[in-house]
Amino acid sequence: MQFVNQNSTTIVEYTQNHFELVLTAVLISLLLWVPSGILLTKSDKWARRALAIANIIFCIPSLSLFAVFVTIPFLGLGRQSALLALVLYAMMPLMRNVYDGVKNVDRNVLEAAKGMGMSTGRIMREIRLPLGMPVIFAGFRITVVMTTGIAAIATYIGERNLGRFISEGLVRSNTNMIITGAILISVIAVGLDTFLGLVEKRVVPRGLRVRR
Amino acid sequence: MIELKGVTKLYQGQAVPAVQNLSLSINRGEICVFVGPSGCGKSTTLRMINRMIEPSSGTIEIDGKNIMSSDPDSLRMGIGYVIQQIGLLPHRTIAENIAIVPRLYKWPKEKIKSRVNELLEMMGLDPAETRNKYPSQLSGGQMQRVGVARAMAVDPSIMLMDEPFGAVDPVARNRLQDEFLRLQKEINKTIVFVTHDINEAIKMGDKIAILNQGQLIQFGTPEEILTDPANDFVENFIGYDRIVKKLNLYTVAEAMKTSFGLVDEAEFSGINAKIPNAEVIFVRDQGEQLVGYLTAEDLSAQGAQRLTQVARQKRLSFVKLNTPLPDALSLMLENDADYVAVLDGDRLCGAI
Repeated sequence: MQFVNQNSTTIVEYTQNHFELVLTAVLISLLLWVPSGILLTKSDKWARRALAIANIIFCIPSLSLFAVFVTIPFLGLGRQSALLALVLYAMMPLMRNVYDGVKNVDRNVLEAAKGMGMSTGRIMREIRLPLGMPVIFAGFRITVVMTTGIAAIATYIGERNLGRFISEGLVRSNTNMIITGAILISVIAVGLDTFLGLVEKRVVPRGLRVRR
Repeated sequence: MIELKGVTKLYQGQAVPAVQNLSLSINRGEICVFVGPSGCGKSTTLRMINRMIEPSSGTIEIDGKNIMSSDPDSLRMGIGYVIQQIGLLPHRTIAENIAIVPRLYKWPKEKIKSRVNELLEMMGLDPAETRNKYPSQLSGGQMQRVGVARAMAVDPSIMLMDEPFGAVDPVARNRLQDEFLRLQKEINKTIVFVTHDINEAIKMGDKIAILNQGQLIQFGTPEEILTDPANDFVENFIGYDRIVKKLNLYTVAEAMKTSFGLVDEAEFSGINAKIPNAEVIFVRDQGEQLVGYLTAEDLSAQGAQRLTQVARQKRLSFVKLNTPLPDALSLMLENDADYVAVLDGDRLCGAI
C-alpha cells in the first residue's frame, strides 16, 4: 500500500500507457483480421496458408519476437515494434475464430437461404455473421486478454507500462513493486474479460440463447 | 409449365452422370413426385430446377423460358423451396423466417405482417402464439409447417419440396401429408416433390417419375404405374403388395353401394315388402340414431320380434366419403362386420 501511495503518478502513467498499447493493438487487429477472416472463407487454399502462417507466428515466444523486431532498423525500440508484434499475435485467435465462425454455419440453413434467393452478401450479413457471432466473440475475448498480458512483456523493448514494475522489481528485488505490477495487470485482464462477457450477451442473437 | 429436355448432370471427377438425358414435362397445378432409391438423381434433378445445381447439358424451361437466361437469385425468389432439414434461421423468430422472401421483394411492413398471420393460420398455427417464438421452441412438425409457410410466402406458382416430411415421425407425417393435399386443392400450385418412399409418392402424386441410377424409368399417374409397371425394377420398387397399394387410390365414395334400406325399429313388420331389393338395411331407434343393421339373410331367417336384437348385436361402424378404401376395409376386419355405414357429413349415404 505504501508503495502504491508513494508512486501513484507513475502507476497512473504506466496504466495509461498499458491501456493505450492494448487498445491500439486490438483496434488494428480488428480492422485487419476480421475482414481477412471473412475473405478467407472464399478460398480454401488461401485459408489453409493464412491459418498456417498465423499458427507459426503464434508459436514464436513473445520475448523472441519483440527482440527480432528491435533489430529491424525502421521498427527499433518502442511502440512500432510492440504494436506490430501484438497485432501479429492476434492474427491467430481473431482471424481463425472469424473464419471458423463464418464458415461453420449449419449447411441446411445456408442451403435454404440460398434456395430462397438470398444473395451471397446478404447471407453473410444476415446469417453467417450473426450465427458465427458466439465463436467470433470468443476469439475477440481471447485476443483482448492475451494482448493485455503480452503487452507487459513489451516493457523490455522500451514500453513504459505496468510490465515495467515487474521487470524492474525483479532487478531490484523489490517485492512490493513486483506485486503491484502483477496484480494490476491481472485485474485489468480479468476486468476486461468480464466486461466483454457482458457485451457478448448483447451481441449474440437472442434466438441462439433461448431454449425451449 | 416446367419442361426438362435432355438434362444431364455429370459431377466433376465422376464417371457416371448423376442424371442422364432426362426429359419430362410437368403441368400447371400438378404434384409431380420424383421417387427412387438413394443416389438415383432425384434431388439433383429437383435442385437443377432452381439452379442450386447447374446442369451439364440439356435445358430446363419454366413457362417456355430457359432458366439459364434469368438471374439465379431472382429465379429462386420466385420458386418456393422446402428441404427436409427445413433450414429455419435459428436466430430469427418464426415471423421473421416466413418474411424472408417478402423482404427480398421489399414488401411494405404491414403487408408482410398480415401475410405472415394468414400463412400461420393456413398452416394451423396460432399466429399470436407462434409469431415471436424461435425455431428451437417448436416441435418437428411445427417447424415443418413453418418451412412450408415460408416457401409459400409470396405465393409462388411453383414449389420444390425435397423430402419435406422426411424428418418427422410417421403419425405427424401422415397428418402433414393430408393437410398439404387439402391445402393444394385450394392453392393449386405446380409442385415438384422428392421422396424415397413409394407410398408417399402414390399418396401425394398426380404424376410419379421413378428414377434409378440417373435415368427416368417410368413416368405416369400412380394408377398407371401400379397397374402397369414398366419393368422389374419398378415392380420391385413398388413392392409385392402392389394391389393393396392400388386400393389407396380409391376412397370409400368410389366403392360404396348406394342402394340400402333404412328403417325405424318401430316399423319392423312388413319390412320385406318395403325394401325388397336392399342388400343391407340400417336400423335406427326412436331418436333417429343408427343402432345396427340387418342383412337380407337375417330378414328371411328371423322372426320380426327378434330383429331388433339381431340388429343391435352387430357392431356398426362409420366411415366418411373421403376415407381411403383400405382404412374402411381394415375397420370392417377389426369389427368383424359385414357392412360399414358411409356418412356424408351427418347424412347416411351408402354402405360398404
